[in-house]
Amino acid sequence: MPTAVLLDSSLSMTRPVSVEGSEEFQRKNLAVHGLTMLFEHMATNYRLEFTSLVSFSSLWEVLVPFTRDYNTLQVVLVTDGALGIGRGSLRHSLQTVKQRVEDKKFPLPFPFPSKLYVMCIANAEELQATDSMDNLEQLINLNGGEGQIYTMEGPLCLKSVQSMFGKLIDQAYSPFHAVLRCGNLTSDVQVFPRPEPVTIDEEVDPMPRTVQTDLEIVGFIEIGDISSPPVLSRHLVLPIAVNKEGDEIGTGATDDTEEETSTNQMAGKSPNFCVLLHGSLKVEGMVALVQLGPDWFGMLYSQADSKKKSNLMMSLFEPGSEPLPWLGRISQLGPASDAAENPYGEDDSKSPFPIQPKHKRSYAQNVTVWIKASGLQTDVQKILRNARKLPEKTQTFYKELNRLRKAALAFGFWELLKSMAELLERECTLLSDSAHPDAAFQLSHAAQQLKLASSGDSKYAAYEHNITPMLTDFSGGGGAHRI
Amino acid sequence: MFSVSHKTAFVVDHCPYMAESCRQLIECDMLTKSRSQGVIPLAPVSKSLWTCAIECSMEYCRILFDVYPTWKLVNYIVSDSEVHILNSWKQEDQNTHELMAALAAVGPPNPRQDPECCSVLHGLVAAVESLCKITEYQHESRTTLMDTADRVANRGRIICLTNAKSDTHVRMLEDCVLETIQEQNKRAAGSDRLMPIQQCELVLVHIYPQGEETLVSDRQKKELSSMLSSEVHSVRAGRYLASKLNVLVQQHFDLASTTITNIPMKEEQHANTSANYDVELLHHRDAHMEFIKSGDLHMAGSTSRDSGLKETVTLKWCTPRTNSVELHYCTGAYRISPVDVNSRPSSCLTNFLLNGRSVLLEQPRKSGSKVISHMLSSHGGEIFLHVLNSTRSTLEDPPSISEGCGGRVTDYRITDFGEFMRENRLTPFPDSMIDAAGRTPVERAKSQLERYTRYWPMIISQTTIFNMQAVVPLANLIVKDTLTDEDVLTCQKTVYNLVDMERKSDPLPISTVGSRGKGPKRDEQYRIMWNELETLVKAHVGTSERHQRVLECISACRSKPPEEEERKKRGRKREDKEDKTEKNGKDTEEKGWTTDSERLKGVMEREKDEQSECEIIKDSPDSPEPLNKKPRLATEEQQPPEKSKGLALPSASEGVVERNHHI
Repeated sequence: MPTAVLLDSSLSMTRPVSVEGSEEFQRKNLAVHGLTMLFEHMATNYRLEFTSLVSFSSLWEVLVPFTRDYNTLQVVLVTDGALGIGRGSLRHSLQTVKQRVEDKKFPLPFPFPSKLYVMCIANAEELQATDSMDNLEQLINLNGGEGQIYTMEGPLCLKSVQSMFGKLIDQAYSPFHAVLRCGNLTSDVQVFPRPEPVTIDEEVDPMPRTVQTDLEIVGFIEIGDISSPPVLSRHLVLPIAVNKEGDEIGTGATDDTEEETSTNQMAGKSPNFCVLLHGSLKVEGMVALVQLGPDWFGMLYSQADSKKKSNLMMSLFEPGSEPLPWLGRISQLGPASDAAENPYGEDDSKSPFPIQPKHKRSYAQNVTVWIKASGLQTDVQKILRNARKLPEKTQTFYKELNRLRKAALAFGFWELLKSMAELLERECTLLSDSAHPDAAFQLSHAAQQLKLASSGDSKYAAYEHNITPMLTDFSGGGGAHRI
Repeated sequence: MFSVSHKTAFVVDHCPYMAESCRQLIECDMLTKSRSQGVIPLAPVSKSLWTCAIECSMEYCRILFDVYPTWKLVNYIVSDSEVHILNSWKQEDQNTHELMAALAAVGPPNPRQDPECCSVLHGLVAAVESLCKITEYQHESRTTLMDTADRVANRGRIICLTNAKSDTHVRMLEDCVLETIQEQNKRAAGSDRLMPIQQCELVLVHIYPQGEETLVSDRQKKELSSMLSSEVHSVRAGRYLASKLNVLVQQHFDLASTTITNIPMKEEQHANTSANYDVELLHHRDAHMEFIKSGDLHMAGSTSRDSGLKETVTLKWCTPRTNSVELHYCTGAYRISPVDVNSRPSSCLTNFLLNGRSVLLEQPRKSGSKVISHMLSSHGGEIFLHVLNSTRSTLEDPPSISEGCGGRVTDYRITDFGEFMRENRLTPFPDSMIDAAGRTPVERAKSQLERYTRYWPMIISQTTIFNMQAVVPLANLIVKDTLTDEDVLTCQKTVYNLVDMERKSDPLPISTVGSRGKGPKRDEQYRIMWNELETLVKAHVGTSERHQRVLECISACRSKPPEEEERKKRGRKREDKEDKTEKNGKDTEEKGWTTDSERLKGVMEREKDEQSECEIIKDSPDSPEPLNKKPRLATEEQQPPEKSKGLALPSASEGVVERNHHI
């Protein structure tokens, strides 16, 4: 989630903080100190986070803009909680929040998922003495309760501002470290952005699910088989080097300070499972199915950013036993070598995926719909067209005829069966002299069968019954035919 | 999970008055000009109220089953002098084919039946009883939740298609439903297979013939009690009823409409020309979530032509198409159902997709910029509308994997791991497929990965045996859960083959990375190779007694440990003798294998070529194609001498490294 930092630069922020000792600080200095700490943390542990800095008083200025669009956002508001007076002040704005016109809506709630963190360069007592705290709490409430207010504990000094920003870092910017495992091959990784807990709406007992720190690969699937699955979120999986004390050395990127360079070079040169996995996934065009928790899975794959750069990426599926209909239940996926016959074929020409559903969908099974007159007319014309090409089209003629018959019976549309019979009888009278003699027999036979069905007589009106072509014998040479 | 839409009971009136004509005429005799002379056209046909009700309700079910093949259940009830329940809540009963067959058996209403004993009330009572019956899904949920089973809700909807007499008649029907719910809930409280109804939506659709005044007034949804709400729709039969039910199915199941425009289609008459067509699809409305959130919902006209009042989002067909091996970032996939399933444009589109092709869809924007927002694709005969992420990603421009940990290593066994992945591909097993140890297929997959990786060096220069074709048969077998006697034999043959190679002093693909010159001497190479092979087999020795036999074979056949080698060097003569006695001792045992080793000679010749290839780097992790080999980084020059120990060959003793440096 990108972060927008809003720094209060109003006059009250220059109020001096009484510190026993030599130096005198303004609240502004404390804010800058805290933010520096936050930014330094991000630069080392959360380096891919996009951050923007805006300073405001009665006006505002974007000091560092985002370089891209956002879908979600974390907003860090740094203020001393002196809310100002009169028009345009927060106090006034909140009081008149309901009177605003459509095009001048209060900015909260934001039109995108967001978290609002308010960092007060003031302590709680100070804020509670006025209505500042209430107003700030109202801000969080307006944001749907997403966010938190942090205040300083004890005297306003560098130490307490550090401790306050430390809490924010723990809450919102702690990196997600995990172990990626494929049997006995493992790698320590950072997952970025860190996966947030997921709650499924439609659950009887909704519980937020968190990604476990042990990411276990369960097997592999071709990209064509997994077939652009829907995912909740995407994350980079960055291998990290962990030294003996368990401290992270870094992600091994090369743009570090000089003293870090040698350690990172070493990390770069020792084989890492992530790099091997990434390379093979890329070359083979496959994904690795990875378990994120009980009944929760995701996939690892190579994501190319450009021709040169590519990365190991992890996408999270919706929690549940069957996140993708075309894979079936994940717990039922097992090693292909356990199958009696290789499901991929000896020459890799087959695939067990996608799983076919038990019933075909309407568009895959030639259903009959006569809601519109044109649908009915098309079906009738289709039969007549084939009727005129008898006996060559005998099979299609009866197939279409039976389709119409079935639908008419189901819809209780017996009148149609009678009309169709009449149409076929008329076709019979319109046959030219050169017409094949079989045509006349088939037409009158079909017409008669439809009439019988339209009587509702269970012997002839059974749904599963099909009208079959009349057996005639014109090709036999004898000229005699069975009727 | 168990919302009102989990259970839908259709109650269709089958009383004599439903046999009445809807009075919309359909011309089915379309005479062509050339044939029309002297022929009297057939009188047009018209559907009965019953036929209209049936086909519209079937259309409702068709769309429902297309979009929700599971979880959303229909119970179809027909009512006249008695109740005909055409199916159950069972999942296997949820398809239009079964319903059509059952409806054919019921047939149209009999106009001569005594109207006094016929009523839709029978059906409504049956519908309430049916809503109390537990579905498979509710049952499963209650069983898994155990002590919190009471959280499983029982809600449902009754859609009643009838021809009512008056508003008073409608009220009477509503009262009857309410009373029945109260009655049935009492009964249900004491039963395992029944559940009291917590919430029921009654949707009464009054159908009357065209040209008549309606006797029943429309009424918005109204709460009749805490359990029952009711709404009344008064609709003319025919296409009005069809569009009403189309609107209802969209409301009831949170559907939305998308119209695909600009679909290029070949003309039937002129095969070389093509025209553009539109096809309207229904799907879950979440497929439009991005548009709704961004306020960018583009309405092409405020109404769609086919579905009456509902709005539709227009998306444009895009060429070129996408291929299946491309992994799109997709945030949702929703099943679709075409509004006009039988029309030529619809079936052309659906057949195109069912044949395995995918289409990207573009969102027309006022600014004229092109944004691909969706994709249509079929999986296993089902068509899905995929939502593609069209906002810019927060993961743009990340560092390349080659810049991170392990990124500078260039001799990863990319091809071998690719082979490993193919061997560990997944496949679906039937639900009952649990092995003797009670493991599910996915657990077996994990345990296979564990076995296959017990000894798996990641880089080419860390291994000798995996660069040798001759070891492949053994390496493939030893990781298996169970070995047959034949497998053991194959492993032994592999070992004997290696012995043979050693006897002939065939060169081995020992890595020379980190050392100057040619690397270790031949006998040293074999010692390294044997040690590594032993490491591999030892990792599996606990699997079974047959695995143990493979290790025993290696221990018996492999070249001697270094101390002995040293002694040999000191006294060459004695060694010859020893060798002979050893040979004699083994003679009987080995005889059978000599022919085999003869046969394997040809194989080994080929291997020699491959071995020399193995010494070149197979792949670089960063290269897009395996062929695109990068020159190996000049590690030799950069690394201080002691770093060469970092090779960590399983058997690389100090002595070996020392010797390398002297050469």
